[in-house]
Amino acid sequence: MKTIPEAALNVMGRTAYIDDLPEPRNLLHSAVKLSGSARGRMTRIDAARALALHPSVRVITWKDIPGENQLGFTVADEPLLPEREWEYWGQPLVLCLAETKGLARRAAELVVVEGDALAPTFDPREAAAKGDFILPPRTQRSGDPAAAFARAAYVVSGRADSGGQEHVYLETQGAIAEPRDGDRIFIISGTQGPAVVQRAAARVLGLPMNKVEVETRRLGGGFGGKEDQATTWGCLAALGARLSGRPVKLCLDRKTDMRATGKRHPYSSDWKIAADAEGRLLAFEADYYQNSGCSCDLSAAIISRTLFHAVGAYRIPNVRVTGFLCRTNLPSFTAFRGFGAPQGIFVMEAALDALARRMGIDPVELRRRNLLEEGDITHYGMPMTRVRARESFDSLLEKTRWRELRAEVDSFNASHALEKRGLAVVPNCFGVSFTKLQMNQGGALVHVYQDGSVLVSTGAIEMGQQVSRKIARVTACTLGIPIERVAIERTTTLTVANTVPTAASTGSDINGMAALAACEEIRGRLVRRAAELVGGPAAGLSIEDGRVVRGREDTGLSWDDLVLKTYESRVDLSAHGFYATPGLFYDMEAEKGSPFAYHVYGAALVEVRLDVLRGLYAVERALIVHDVGRSLDRAVDLGQIEGAFAQGLGWALLEELAFGADGRLLSDTLSTYKLPDAHFLPARLEVEMMRETDNPRAVLNSKAIGEPPLVYGIAGYFALLDALRSARPDGPGMYDLPLTPEKALDYLTGDRPEYGREKAAKGDTPC
Amino acid sequence: MTKRMLRFVANDREVGTEAWEGSPALDFIRRELGLTGTKEGCREGDCGACAVILGERLENGAVRYRAAPSCLLALGELDGRHLVTIEGLASGAEDGLTPVMLAFLAENASQCGFCSPGFIVSLTAWLLEGERLDEAGALTAVEGNLCRCTGYGSIRRAASRLLAEFPGLPADPLARIDALVAARVVPASLAAFARGKLLADDARVRPAAGETSLVIGGGTDFYVRNTDPEPRDGFFLAGSDPALRRMTRSGDGGLEVGAAVTIRDFFACPELLSLVPGIGRFEASFASILVRNRATLGGNIANASPVADMTSMLIALGARLGIARPGGDGPSREIPLESFFLGYKKLDLGPGEIIRTILIPPPCRPFRFNFEKAAKRASLDIAAVNTAVLLELDGNRVVRGRLSAGGVAATPLLLPKSSAFLAGRAVSAGTARDLAALAASEVETIGDVRGSAGYRRRVLERLVMAHFTTLFRDRVADGIAEDLAVRVSSSEEDRR
Repeated sequence: MKTIPEAALNVMGRTAYIDDLPEPRNLLHSAVKLSGSARGRMTRIDAARALALHPSVRVITWKDIPGENQLGFTVADEPLLPEREWEYWGQPLVLCLAETKGLARRAAELVVVEGDALAPTFDPREAAAKGDFILPPRTQRSGDPAAAFARAAYVVSGRADSGGQEHVYLETQGAIAEPRDGDRIFIISGTQGPAVVQRAAARVLGLPMNKVEVETRRLGGGFGGKEDQATTWGCLAALGARLSGRPVKLCLDRKTDMRATGKRHPYSSDWKIAADAEGRLLAFEADYYQNSGCSCDLSAAIISRTLFHAVGAYRIPNVRVTGFLCRTNLPSFTAFRGFGAPQGIFVMEAALDALARRMGIDPVELRRRNLLEEGDITHYGMPMTRVRARESFDSLLEKTRWRELRAEVDSFNASHALEKRGLAVVPNCFGVSFTKLQMNQGGALVHVYQDGSVLVSTGAIEMGQQVSRKIARVTACTLGIPIERVAIERTTTLTVANTVPTAASTGSDINGMAALAACEEIRGRLVRRAAELVGGPAAGLSIEDGRVVRGREDTGLSWDDLVLKTYESRVDLSAHGFYATPGLFYDMEAEKGSPFAYHVYGAALVEVRLDVLRGLYAVERALIVHDVGRSLDRAVDLGQIEGAFAQGLGWALLEELAFGADGRLLSDTLSTYKLPDAHFLPARLEVEMMRETDNPRAVLNSKAIGEPPLVYGIAGYFALLDALRSARPDGPGMYDLPLTPEKALDYLTGDRPEYGREKAAKGDTPC
Repeated sequence: MTKRMLRFVANDREVGTEAWEGSPALDFIRRELGLTGTKEGCREGDCGACAVILGERLENGAVRYRAAPSCLLALGELDGRHLVTIEGLASGAEDGLTPVMLAFLAENASQCGFCSPGFIVSLTAWLLEGERLDEAGALTAVEGNLCRCTGYGSIRRAASRLLAEFPGLPADPLARIDALVAARVVPASLAAFARGKLLADDARVRPAAGETSLVIGGGTDFYVRNTDPEPRDGFFLAGSDPALRRMTRSGDGGLEVGAAVTIRDFFACPELLSLVPGIGRFEASFASILVRNRATLGGNIANASPVADMTSMLIALGARLGIARPGGDGPSREIPLESFFLGYKKLDLGPGEIIRTILIPPPCRPFRFNFEKAAKRASLDIAAVNTAVLLELDGNRVVRGRLSAGGVAATPLLLPKSSAFLAGRAVSAGTARDLAALAASEVETIGDVRGSAGYRRRVLERLVMAHFTTLFRDRVADGIAEDLAVRVSSSEEDRR
């Protein structure tokens, strides 16, 4: 059995996360004071009692910030510590330093922040009604939706809501900062984007970026929650270190983390869909009211991914979709695996569900009839190539023996009054690339040492997605050596500069490609040297499995010897590689272009069993057919598919952010915020990777894997809805994710009248 | 403050400390022992990242190892015991990789790795217990561990590998430990501790409680609310009094359960299972195995959560509390459990008094017992509502009934009207329906993060009906199904 060094350290308990690192002798601990109401204007900060607690206590406010008090790069609406107003319940207001963690926490509790209450807003539709947007609304359109709705045989409209989602990375947010060599600052940050922390810390401290070093060795989970929102903690630790002249550690406890940091954006959306008499989709319109929270953060990029994924895996000729970034007094909602796409896809699937019901046909049949085809042009103008929507969908139906399964479940339901089974199938078409064009770049630094071992540094952050393993594979493949010869170095701003966060599923695409470019450079130099050593032309020589070969013939020269002799001939054995994803363009004015390098396809079936009496349910089975291109590592890809599905299923059926009427987060512990446990996942969870095909748009023909499979969780929602309707055939459509036991029982008892009715007044056909 | 030397074995070495016995073991393990493989994930027993194995020599001389969440474990609980952490497990294996770790690697079951030590500890404890060596047993073993990366597929496959590798283990605890030491699943220190070779001179008498100001059972509620408690005098671990950990048949044929008996031991007690047949199936509805290993009956009651699962069950069973001053000779007064709760978290408990025993009376005639719970997640979740029922039967007629409900008031309740209603009723769908409606009318629900007031009332009604469909499926299921169909359509009518 071959062991993997990184994972071996994990299972032995020897992997050091931030809070596990040995603490410097003169370390100061720190804690933040969080706001205790949703919105207020600050009048006074009283630190007297905190300072009296212990001589080591130091209280730091915005006034102490030496540079610019601003973290927001898209919109300057995110002070590190607020100067005038706090904007959500749980916002960090003040930083306290002390000798011990306990003292720092108690000091933070003793700081008194006084202020005048201001009227908060929590509902995105209310913010929209007031015109309180973070950025102007964006609209994408194609064809002529109005004309299509006018001539359609079926028009259905309605509303769909989806809740936020807490990341629950098992390692909470944290950072350690140390002053070094005069005015330099070294930050160990639990971030997906060290360069983001570096840039922000430099700005806050008033230093040039070359004085700030940020290192990230690994994260105990990220899922988007540490893309932008690790920056606050890195900068606060750096601020403390700068002001105290001592190392400062800031590791959040779970409750502070849950209260202070952003989560997946809740959405409230209106949709309208039209089909002809044969069930061909003609038009789709939607307005997405994104609850952006109190600041921009990544909301703009997230709404754009929602718009790009508005029609999911379907072809619809006439589309108009508009996204609103609604400012509310809640934590700044942020990146979470899927990044707005699942929210958009849920709306589309809700519309299709309602339409199928209206037409009286099987929703699976309606979906199948309208899948994307090769050469289709999306509503944002991108011609679709290498489309695998139908291939994956049909393959899934075949594997599940769909007709027989549907008939079996229907007959079960007909003969069981207190128990119902429900089924749903959802297709997937997920665009890969950062929707913000400039972010599609990455760098790598590769060193080959004299003994033939190889060290690779990139911008990729290892956070459980096992990107290190993939980059090691790319390196080994490109250099022609066993993977054991390759080590992946931690990510620091010293080795690779100006990196983009590891996000948007692009970690291995971008960084793998950059590593590949560096390896090709080095390999070229080595092969030229090999030609001198073994004679003959360099063309035709290659390195395979640690040997220099010509064609299939071993030249007698080993990798190790070649490396040493190349070094001795004074040739550089290091290279920097750079990659900028080619072929991407987007016209923001016209809202047209090709923003994605490629798309990932697949489909999932989920089966749910409903206890009609109690309103409780269990996911019994899931079958996922997924497109991995040519997988770089099937074990890693399987883990990503299963893990993303689990998060999607949690989002759809279980995980519920609860805010009080005053904007306070009620679900601020793991006893009140439930995420999938081992019992929650279906015992029958089968993943089938599709026949491998080339994907020339990514490294070694692979495909991105991180986010796309999260979409399959949406099938869980519709499977449960299917079961609920078997129990209550006259029930309305209900598109209010997550579908918790409470909502399920309310549906069964007829106590949720709001869905599907409110639209009737406008004259549209309710769903 | 009075200090006391705590002595225990940490992996393979004896440790002594005068640190306060009430501080959380997790902090001591990470900061003082420097064993950072044990992780802090949530500090409230919900994620299992801090799981450790705790070994103890029982009163009868046997040795027992079980997993525990160290964030909810008082340091004092380590006294005289064997603490085994992930580092200890690794130290027993070649290259530091035990078969459980290797199974994880083979299935790629460690991604970000933060939860991995906890899972490995839980699965190792499962092998050490050696009782339920099947897929369901493995799943139960890790039900208190959260993983956010894998979706649990690879973890299940790793457990399957272990099942293939260890299809059976010796029933005798010592022989089982030896077998697992030989297989390098656990280090040799377990065999040494089991044979009294470590901490051999441990002849200390555990202190009886003097003046107590803070009594805790397992700590599984206490540390959730007190994450960083300040050292104080009068701290008393109820489990350190062996008498409080005993279960005995009472004179009347009932059961006398010591307040410090853990939920795990309670459900494993043969006398209980013969007194209340079938009650064992409700064990799984209580928290997770990690918490059940620590949580005590007395603690669950004294915490006075309105929705405590055990309390709800015990109220329906007609349990009474024996309350005494600590160190006294037996109970000084007895009260029905339901009257112990005076208001939200207000107890009928005087200064210095402690719950000593829980007395479960024997039923007078044939009876049926059932427990129902509605929560967001099926396992390790606090209920929105729970309810239990005890029905003493004469053929198809209820002679006497007790219906309890949790999560529907400030305290756990015995529903008096509903209970009285049951007397003399026939077992039928009609009785179920009427009882459910009466129960729902008898409570004043309030809404919180776990459920709205309306939901709580509705789900209580459904759970009461579920008592009947569970206990008397053939007699009532059809009638109840018809009833549900009618009611949905009439509530639709109401709205129009």
